[in-house]
Amino acid sequence: MNKLLYKLEAYLKMSVSRREFMKILIGGLVYFLSENQFLKFAFAKNSDAMPRVKKSIDCAHDLVAVKGLNSGKNVEKAIELLGGIEKFVKKGDVVLVKPNMAWDRSPEQAANTDPQVVATIVELCYKAGAKRVNVFDIPCNDDRRVYENSGIQKAAEEKGAKVYFADHWNVLKAKFPYKSAMEDWPIVRDAVVCDTFINVPVLKHHGLTGLTLSMKNLMGVCSGTRGLIHIDIAKKLVDLTDFINPDLTVIDATRVLTKNGPSGGSLKDVINLDTVIASTDPTLADTYACKLMKKDPMSVPYLKEAFERKFGKSNLEKSDIKELTI
Amino acid sequence: MKKLIIARKFFQLLFLGLFIYVIWSTTYPLNSAISPKLLFRLDPLIMFFTSLSIRQWIEGVSFSIIIVAFTLIFGRYVCGWICPVGTINDIIGIVNKNKWVLSPGLNANIIKLKFYILFIVSFLAILGIQAAWLLDPIVIFARFVSLNLIPASTFVIDKAFAFAIKNFELYGEFYDFYRYLSKNLLGIKIYFFENSESSLSIFLAIAIFPLLIPRLWCRALCPLGALFGIFSRFSIFQRVVNKCTDCKKCLNKCRMQAIKEDISYKKNECVLCMDCVYVCPVEGTSFKFNNKKQHFNPAKSKGTISRREFLYILFVSLPSLGFVNKKNKIDITEYKNVIRPPGVNNEAKFINTCVRCGNCMKVCITSGLHPILLKSGIEALWTPQLVPEIGYCENNCTLCGEVCPTKAIPELKLEQKKKEKLGLAIIDESICYPHSQGKQCIVCEEHCPVSDKAIKLKDTTIKLKNVTMNNGEVIKLPYVDKDLCVGCGICQNKCPVRPIRAIRVKGKL
Repeated sequence: MNKLLYKLEAYLKMSVSRREFMKILIGGLVYFLSENQFLKFAFAKNSDAMPRVKKSIDCAHDLVAVKGLNSGKNVEKAIELLGGIEKFVKKGDVVLVKPNMAWDRSPEQAANTDPQVVATIVELCYKAGAKRVNVFDIPCNDDRRVYENSGIQKAAEEKGAKVYFADHWNVLKAKFPYKSAMEDWPIVRDAVVCDTFINVPVLKHHGLTGLTLSMKNLMGVCSGTRGLIHIDIAKKLVDLTDFINPDLTVIDATRVLTKNGPSGGSLKDVINLDTVIASTDPTLADTYACKLMKKDPMSVPYLKEAFERKFGKSNLEKSDIKELTI
Repeated sequence: MKKLIIARKFFQLLFLGLFIYVIWSTTYPLNSAISPKLLFRLDPLIMFFTSLSIRQWIEGVSFSIIIVAFTLIFGRYVCGWICPVGTINDIIGIVNKNKWVLSPGLNANIIKLKFYILFIVSFLAILGIQAAWLLDPIVIFARFVSLNLIPASTFVIDKAFAFAIKNFELYGEFYDFYRYLSKNLLGIKIYFFENSESSLSIFLAIAIFPLLIPRLWCRALCPLGALFGIFSRFSIFQRVVNKCTDCKKCLNKCRMQAIKEDISYKKNECVLCMDCVYVCPVEGTSFKFNNKKQHFNPAKSKGTISRREFLYILFVSLPSLGFVNKKNKIDITEYKNVIRPPGVNNEAKFINTCVRCGNCMKVCITSGLHPILLKSGIEALWTPQLVPEIGYCENNCTLCGEVCPTKAIPELKLEQKKKEKLGLAIIDESICYPHSQGKQCIVCEEHCPVSDKAIKLKDTTIKLKNVTMNNGEVIKLPYVDKDLCVGCGICQNKCPVRPIRAIRVKGKL
């Protein structure tokens, strides 16, 4: 200890020549400059992403809506009528199932997707030979509470899915071929780098857009200050949907929150529709869900925007829709 | 074989590990084997003096009495065998082998300091001010672990994994392992607690002392040690010297310098470290149950504080009466800066009851509770406040009340907690997007957890002087319902306006 102190004292009292001083100065500058470069090299690698390419799938119908008391069976039937899960999931695929689990609410309160629906989709994917099924969302409440209380973590893990928390450092910057307000928005890597993207939103009320649907659910893969998406939400959501390009959209309308959305909390606001909607076209699925809630699709800003941009099919009468009640 | 020393070191490391484990496991879903409350309820200093100063029997006092009862038999065994700060002192002391031995006169003076501190603490407690939190070693170490050690180690682990995964593209099994780790083992989300550096500095000071003087903190300053010292005077487990060759090796080796020139020892200083048993060349020293008086003159080892000194302390501690505060009742109509945890309605009682153990800050699921410095006066140093920018109060969560050892934050039922008002959210219309720029933004309304939303939307046609673009459009303007708002702060947390949020929660104090 004393030796150390002595050395320290000797070091501090050492005289420094001009040449040495310049050396130290330049050395320090080089260090500070190179450190920044090093960090850039280490952490900013491969961080740009081009839009996901959608699989071109010929389905038996454009949209299938199945009504029945068991939500799990509804999903099975709906996907079967679309042409079977094998059309979407090939052997050895990495599948992302993106439910809406944003709120610290129980399944009965209808703020999150029904766990049964998610579990059934996971099971179907594994049956079709998927290598790995990921389930995640970036919730609005604390993720530990949300994953547990929504019941999705338990239900999906029982079927073998990997349920994890999204890391905000593991993101890619979205790049668009056209001018977009969502340019450079950080999007979780696993949402872009996956073979099949299955979007599983829940149908519920929302203060700004009227209804929360599949396009709104895609906000869950965005990192960053997500509140800013709400400004000029219509354009940004259509751009985002165009970027992610979900292969399959399964809207869960088993329990529907009709008021005080999107978080809800009161059981009085929940009604049972017992319906599951499946489609490859997110716009069509959302438009049908609006009809289910007896709401004009043009009153939902992003559906209006999608209609104007001719993004997906917006016309229900011209589409091939299969309705079924079990 | 130094059996007793090996046993002591084993127990020291065991309790240090246990201590860190309990604090580490103080996180959602709170399923550790040992309740985090128990850790502090075994500490007689904070329990007894908190109970005394708020004039109320706290549950934990009975636990701490058991510890004191054992002191009557074994002496200061807690200091030597259990206390984590003592263990840290011993570990750091290993670095320097040639530590200073103080002159007997100086040593006799500095060991009095801890009794001064204890007297001031007890004097203030009688007057109704709880000051035990300031220098209690258990609390200081607990704060160090939960506010500094765990966040810092989480930072290192997180960054190392993030670097490795991103740089070497290890998105397979390695990433899964990290996910498992962060989900199950790293129970904290932030790397730094506001104002925690002031609390860290006290711990660092304690940790630097033993580089020069062994266990200076335990010898000179620790009020908990002083409390045990008073009781250990009656202990029956004593050091007995049968043979002595006057080599005085034990005298220099003793880490507490408790052994006097005539080989008798100060019982209230001895921490039973058992060093003197093995350093003795003729093996004449041992510890035994012994009720008899020893061969030295007992009058010499009597109380270390004289009557004159006691009166002096009494006189000196009078100015601290200035800290008796008058904030007994809070006027709810006036909202100010400090947001207290849910259920705290009496600021003065809260400051008195809070022992600053940092449990609530560690357990807070959004890491929104942080220590304050002087916002509410110096007497409220390091008490928890909610910082909504960092973390809000989760609506369905009652964790902070569940871990508070003195019930400064009351343990509320979930239904009751949901109604508890922390403050009031106020919209700053000069920077809010819809109010000032006519842009649609309903983030605060969306996140409001109250079932009939406390933030409501009103359709309004924009008529703004300085904004021409959107004028004439109908947009939704948010406003706060004062009766429904619970002040949880999620709206402030999620508000997209930067750098100052457009909706801010004002606390009750």
